[in-house]
Amino acid sequence: MSFALTSFKKDLSRWRQDLLQTAIWLAIPLTIGGLITMLMSGDGAQPHGVLLVADQDESFLSELIAGAYSAGDLGELISVEKTTVEEGTTRVNAGEASGLLIIPEGFGDAFLDAEAITLTLRTNPSQTILPGIITDVTEIVLDAGFYAQALFGDDIDSIQKLVGESSDAAVAAIAVAIQNKIEIVAPRLFPPVINVAIVEPPPSEPRPSFALLYLPGIVLMAVMFSSNGLASDFWVERDRGTLRRLVFSPGQLGSFVIGKALAAAVVIAIIGGLTLVLGFLYHGVSWTKFPSSLVWIALSGVALFAWFAALQMLFSNQNTASVISSLLLFPLLMAGGSFFPLAVMPGWIAAIGRLSPNGFVADRLTSEITEVGAWIIDASSWLIVAAAAASGLAICAWRLRTGFARA
Amino acid sequence: MLRVENLSKNYGDLVAADKVSFESGKGTVFGLLGPNGAGKSTTINCISGLLQPTSGHAFVAGHDVVADGKAARQNLGVVPQELALYEDLPAVENLRYWGKAYGLRGAELDSRVSEVLDTIGLRDRAKDLPKKFSGGMKRRLNFGCGIVHRPPVILLDEPTVGVDPQSRARLFDMVEAERDAGACVLYTTHYMEEAERLCDSLAIMDHGKVIAKGTVSELRAKLSARDVLQLNGTFPLDETRHAVEMIMERGDLDLEVITQEEHCVTLTLSRASQHLPVIFTAISGAGGIVTETILRSPNLETLFLLLTGKELRE
Repeated sequence: MSFALTSFKKDLSRWRQDLLQTAIWLAIPLTIGGLITMLMSGDGAQPHGVLLVADQDESFLSELIAGAYSAGDLGELISVEKTTVEEGTTRVNAGEASGLLIIPEGFGDAFLDAEAITLTLRTNPSQTILPGIITDVTEIVLDAGFYAQALFGDDIDSIQKLVGESSDAAVAAIAVAIQNKIEIVAPRLFPPVINVAIVEPPPSEPRPSFALLYLPGIVLMAVMFSSNGLASDFWVERDRGTLRRLVFSPGQLGSFVIGKALAAAVVIAIIGGLTLVLGFLYHGVSWTKFPSSLVWIALSGVALFAWFAALQMLFSNQNTASVISSLLLFPLLMAGGSFFPLAVMPGWIAAIGRLSPNGFVADRLTSEITEVGAWIIDASSWLIVAAAAASGLAICAWRLRTGFARA
Repeated sequence: MLRVENLSKNYGDLVAADKVSFESGKGTVFGLLGPNGAGKSTTINCISGLLQPTSGHAFVAGHDVVADGKAARQNLGVVPQELALYEDLPAVENLRYWGKAYGLRGAELDSRVSEVLDTIGLRDRAKDLPKKFSGGMKRRLNFGCGIVHRPPVILLDEPTVGVDPQSRARLFDMVEAERDAGACVLYTTHYMEEAERLCDSLAIMDHGKVIAKGTVSELRAKLSARDVLQLNGTFPLDETRHAVEMIMERGDLDLEVITQEEHCVTLTLSRASQHLPVIFTAISGAGGIVTETILRSPNLETLFLLLTGKELRE
């Protein structure tokens, strides 16, 4: 065990001499992750627009129309600002607002008299979503206004006249008139033969943002690059003759392998940990999940390192080993959710992806990061990864003893 | 200290080492001499545990390298022909790592690493990375890593290949220092002058076999102070053979033929320089044309030529 620690320190010292390589292992996933996050709008924030209203009528009804745009949930999408036609036009043209609604003078009277009147809506041509919403809302408001005028035209007229000088008796009279009309209309609107059962859907769990779903794949990309790169060190040592020298010595080959695995665990934890820190900071993931996520990727990284090394040691020269393991790396990254999250893949592809080593690890890391609580990865998953690491390292030690180190 | 008994290593039909036997004691340098492919490295690899002998035994400090491999390796220091260094680890860390691989710890390790840095002349560069070193400095560090645990038996496999004269001289000094400190050194080379300078005794190998063995003076005595005369040119085979036989029948020259080919004839005789006119006359009389004459005084190289009929470096 003492020689394992010696070997561990030696490999860490050597790793510190080649930080450029580490930077490359880190830079590729971070660049890809950054680009993906930018494309996915990062935090998944809703769009928000400004509707300018040039109210030239300034009546009760025009106020009502303008207020409809910021009522209820719409208020989260649209802010209504009053302006003049000239200023509004300038601001829309400058891209400072999603639309300009012009309510002409005489709109209230024309509405009550059921006369034709034109509302003007100018939208920002450089935007697509918000102007569309504003147009739809305008059409709905006007449709609703048409029916309201047909049913309650007189009452609205009364309300308009009462603004600022209402008396309890007048308000009560209008209320009774409206109630009577509703009672007449209600059976047509809600026929008694049809029972409407209003079922409220159960409250859904908050869905993680699309960009957050990418985080485990990006972290695994960094882990895969580093574990594959570190695994090639067995070949480096063989080519430099230090493995042969080790065979001459009574130092144990098994301890040598354990030392390398420990060093790999530290390096992978640093690289994976950095990507995790950036991801946690950006997505605002709870830091209580950090220790479990870090231990999970470090252990998984050792397992990947061990199997990459075992695979590379099967080949007759370093070039072949390097080419084969690189050829394997990219399909694994693809299948394992580094380029497209498993959570949003079609079911059958995601099922295959979860069977890949990195997909298995990324899937559980996704759960750890996105679900409620920490240390939620099940014990069987920990055992599977630990067994994979142990078996991979055993194969490495076996290959060293059966000729790899002696060549 | 080092004993090799009938050691053989076969690769299928190829016999790389054929019943090799020799023995060397404390405070001596034993040379294993021979051209490339003679079986020197195979023998060394069997002793170091890198190869499993097909038959025979090797003992290091009394430990069988196969049956008691770990103890044998603990008493063995190997300086491989190729550099075996961590070029991205400072020189002192290389020494410390290999010291720890052989079980050195604490003050003993510190003291020994310090000693070796002095021995190999790299104290000033101890904290530098070997990748910044010259070839000679790397060779010295390679040597240092092999002896850092103070092994009683040291194997050096052609340590001077590709080394400049200054570094070679330094290596010789280091080998002699280890010998003087009581180590048993096994030194393989195909440079005769190295063997003559360093080795107390040696074995000459060819085609996997030991063809001569003894101290340097014993081996020189086998030449009986005879010179080796090599004539290059054009020599009709039958006529030249007849002419040489005529000289030998005269009986006044102790002439022997080592090789006779169409463009090269090699002879051995005493005081060759005095008899050159007789030989040239006979050969030109047989239709031969001499374009070059090489006369060698007796040394291990001529012994090798005498024993094998070929140059050591062929």
